[in-house]
Amino acid sequence: MFINWALQEINLKIVYYGPGMSGKTTNLEYIHSKLDPSLKGDLVSLKTKEDRTIFFDFMQIEVGRIKGKKPKFNLYTVPGQVYYASSRKVILNGVDGIVFVADSQPHRMEANIETLLDLENNLKQDNHTLESFPWVIQYNKRDLPGAESVEALQKRLNFFNVPSFEGIAVKGDGVFNTLKAVINSVVQNVQNQL
Amino acid sequence: MVQTRKLKDGSRQIILNGKQYDVITKVLSELATKTKASAILFADMSGQLISQRGNTDNMNTTVLSALAASDFAATSEMAKLVGEEAKFKLLFHEGEKRNVYLSNVGDNFFLVVVFDVSVTLGLIRIYTKKAIEDLITVLEDTSSDEGGDDNVIDSDFSTLLGDALDDTFK
Repeated sequence: MFINWALQEINLKIVYYGPGMSGKTTNLEYIHSKLDPSLKGDLVSLKTKEDRTIFFDFMQIEVGRIKGKKPKFNLYTVPGQVYYASSRKVILNGVDGIVFVADSQPHRMEANIETLLDLENNLKQDNHTLESFPWVIQYNKRDLPGAESVEALQKRLNFFNVPSFEGIAVKGDGVFNTLKAVINSVVQNVQNQL
Repeated sequence: MVQTRKLKDGSRQIILNGKQYDVITKVLSELATKTKASAILFADMSGQLISQRGNTDNMNTTVLSALAASDFAATSEMAKLVGEEAKFKLLFHEGEKRNVYLSNVGDNFFLVVVFDVSVTLGLIRIYTKKAIEDLITVLEDTSSDEGGDDNVIDSDFSTLLGDALDDTFK
């Protein structure tokens, strides 16, 4: 979190984390497509030719003034592919809240778990833990046939009982609820610690 | 000193007061005048833009800061791979019309100087070095410490923010 009293700005960094192709970029694209132009900046995507995120996506959004202060949210995604491990680590620098976008398809369960462990490992290096850090889960791709039950996903992934949401990011289902929840978690976390 | 507060969960809060912001902006203005740089940005390593000077109207400086921070991050990984133990201190991108000179300011901040190819790199180097010293002085100076409104993020704030989010995301 970065607070600039001269400009009355409060900046938060939210990172979308998750296995490859789980829909992290799609979440940002949906948010970008729906917000009023006055409240959003450009969506920048560093992608490969195959449309896979190679480094990150970035977008800044605002919600106007709250008690004279201007909160700004810097949204980032990380590349999901296993071999981009070091990019994932650096994007977490200064992170305030995390959205873990899980893929609901049964054959992606292992990838979800592996990425969650990778996240925990990266957080540990900055002295954070998944147990105390503000984060939420989105179970994406709920519309796909054969999607794993939410109960099964909860059991395997949500061991700290963080807020969780069902999502169909391509249609926008669950996208804003997820974002609202992570922002709330961050704000609650700050309040609890002051 | 720029206040850096560690929360219990390990996350970091950086707080800049009005006086520090003014001094930082003044240092950037001087650097802009002396070097005739097109744009100068001061940001933190997480990609957060703090202050800017020069002709930045047609430049998306928010995104530029985010990209510059990842530029540093990527090259520090590169440093490890090639056996350099410290991080690379400066990065230089040479174009046909414009060049970009990036240099770290302490461990947590950096400067981005965008300039026309007609300006010599030596000039940029000399004045940037001086500006970095000045910035480090500001960042470490404790005399200007003043308590901001510590409890700005209270329950009232979160309720209002919740409403604003509902409104924005409808």
